Amino acid sequence: MTVEAATALASGYTAIGAGLAVGLAGVGTGIGEMGIGAAAVGATAEDRGMFGLALLFTVLPETVVIFGLVIALLLIFV
Amino acid sequence: MFQPRPMTHLLIAASKEQMASVVTELYRHQIFHITDFVDQGKEGYEGVKIGVPFENAGELSNNLLKIRSIESVFQTAPSTQSTVQMRPAETIRAAIDSELPKIEEEVSSLTVKRSNAETRIRECEQRINELKPFALVPLELDLYRGYESLTVFAGYIEHDLDISVPHEKNYVAGKDGNFIVVFAESKNAADIERQLADAGFQSVSLPVESGTVQAAVEKYTVELGKVTQIREDCTAKIVELKAKYADLLAACDEVLSCDVERAEAPLRFATTDEAFVIDGWIPADTVDKITAALNQATGERVYVTVDPSDYEATAVPVEYNNPSFAKPAELFMDLYSRPKYKELDPTIILAIMFPLLFGFIVGDLGYGLLYLALALVLRKFLLKMGEMGTKAFIVILGAAISTSVFGLLYSEFFGTSLPWHSIIFSRHLPIGAGMEHAMPQVIELLIISALLGVIYISVGRFFGMINHYRMDHPGSHRTKAILAQLGWNFILWGILVLILSVADLNEYCQFPFALPTFVGIPTIAGIIGAILIVVGCVFVAIENPLDLMEIPTNTLSHMLSFCRLAAVGLSSVAIAMVVNFMAVDLFISPAMANLDVVGVLLIIVGVIILILGHALNVALGILGGALHPIRLHYVEFFTKFYQGGGIIYKPFGLKRKFSEE
Repeated sequence: MTVEAATALASGYTAIGAGLAVGLAGVGTGIGEMGIGAAAVGATAEDRGMFGLALLFTVLPETVVIFGLVIALLLIFV
Repeated sequence: MFQPRPMTHLLIAASKEQMASVVTELYRHQIFHITDFVDQGKEGYEGVKIGVPFENAGELSNNLLKIRSIESVFQTAPSTQSTVQMRPAETIRAAIDSELPKIEEEVSSLTVKRSNAETRIRECEQRINELKPFALVPLELDLYRGYESLTVFAGYIEHDLDISVPHEKNYVAGKDGNFIVVFAESKNAADIERQLADAGFQSVSLPVESGTVQAAVEKYTVELGKVTQIREDCTAKIVELKAKYADLLAACDEVLSCDVERAEAPLRFATTDEAFVIDGWIPADTVDKITAALNQATGERVYVTVDPSDYEATAVPVEYNNPSFAKPAELFMDLYSRPKYKELDPTIILAIMFPLLFGFIVGDLGYGLLYLALALVLRKFLLKMGEMGTKAFIVILGAAISTSVFGLLYSEFFGTSLPWHSIIFSRHLPIGAGMEHAMPQVIELLIISALLGVIYISVGRFFGMINHYRMDHPGSHRTKAILAQLGWNFILWGILVLILSVADLNEYCQFPFALPTFVGIPTIAGIIGAILIVVGCVFVAIENPLDLMEIPTNTLSHMLSFCRLAAVGLSSVAIAMVVNFMAVDLFISPAMANLDVVGVLLIIVGVIILILGHALNVALGILGGALHPIRLHYVEFFTKFYQGGGIIYKPFGLKRKFSEE
């Protein structure tokens, strides 16, 4: 394998890694938010005052996908 | 600033004769927040009962009900009505006595007439529909009824059939279903009914009209036209009345709402046989004013006293006390929860940081100008919604301006470069022709975001210390709570010092200024970092050892969570650049080079991609740009110090739009 081929392969793997980082983190976040979101909508429907707290709970797992995105950015640009 | 408006607990007592004048005076000033008296039969409160409404309350409520019902017929409400002129309340009251019965009669006669017409319309339509299938049967309508020994079956059926008993049959196949009419002797009725049922027979009611079907349908159609006209006339008259009386009704509604609220106010007071007490709160700086006003109104026959106790309790109503520029951010605060009375009110931080962070994320001149246009388009609509709409408008405006300014700094216009190089951070990604050598300053953006996170978390912890100091009872518990907050900060800073002692951030990024680094003094820095972490852990553990479990989330993950500012922003840029690449490089440019019929089509496709793509990104920008900064405040910042749950200050009185006393 030539050096160019190896470099190209490495950057290809990096791209796959970055994609997996965002994608899997996104799936995880989705699973996390699934239950919370349903419950939050229910709570908000019962009482409008719950909206702030409901939103807060719903976005909690979102941090995970941001971590994934950060890792992907680091993989590609560092 | 950082502090709700100071409140004073006021008790007003007087004999019942003064009740009306006290209520009127309090209502006029619109600053007294009444704490409702709850009759719990507590010791020391024997003989104290909830008051009874003033005599005229019933009549006023009745009138208000009438007005509301007329308003519902008119489909108007005072909140949607704009002020034409302020009228004196006395003339409105006179109008309620003189005009209201007349208007009510007029409107109710019209609505009765209209609803009768509507009922008749429905009946006619139903008759016409019922007659329709019979139109295909060549029989007069009189022939369907009036027999003694014959039974008539009429209805829809799945398919034609041979009936085994003597009968006469009309079968019409149609696309709405097959219609069948069967005449047979009554003694065979049960037999026929069974045979029909086997073929999926669904009977319809027999017509009661006479003459031909066409004539009957004609008769109903003519009547339908007439009653529809009556309905239209009634509606037109109601619209006419609406135009004539909507202003008056809005004013009446307002005056009556005020009168009813005043008349029912005693329900919130504690009363004895002869006297009453009103318990409530007013802004501290208005005590003298209200005391003087009450004394004057009652001829000094009222006892007003300040109750210095109870400020710790959660009963104090909270009114924001922010500079006017920060008022719009109160919207976000109320969305989360109103601060408690003794709590720090972080509204002003939100007011400054929300637009900045929104701009930092979206940061595109083109999008900024679009948001600006959106704000101006929505302006009329939002301003109509009252105070909340105005606040929302200012929030959108601030975000739009900030986005534009950051766009200029980033040198971004719908994902393309402006004629100059980016002034702060370059976010141009290597996507599309001519951008192969773009070097986005991703690391710089991530680092600056995380550093912002460190600042936010540290400030949040300091606020937490202040809140514990002010809200907890003095004692060891309070000291522990304050130390724990300091401990969390120590842990965060210790981790930061350790990181900076092994890694020089300046190697990874270029800022106009050098970032602090302790690589030169690894031992000293390492020791300091370790001490900070250990001391921090001890402080935290003193309050609750289990809290140490939260070290990874409470420090690192909350700090890194701020990286979303960079990440979401970059994804927004990426979407914009990909849209440009797809539209321009893949469709428009190749087509322009070789312009023919197909080329023109390609250009149209390219333009559609461009518009749809950027529209999507604008929407995502609003969602991401707004939700993420708010979330960072709510989750990463507020959880460090903010409890909320304060009572909203609702002064006794109504903001008048149409009338004046």
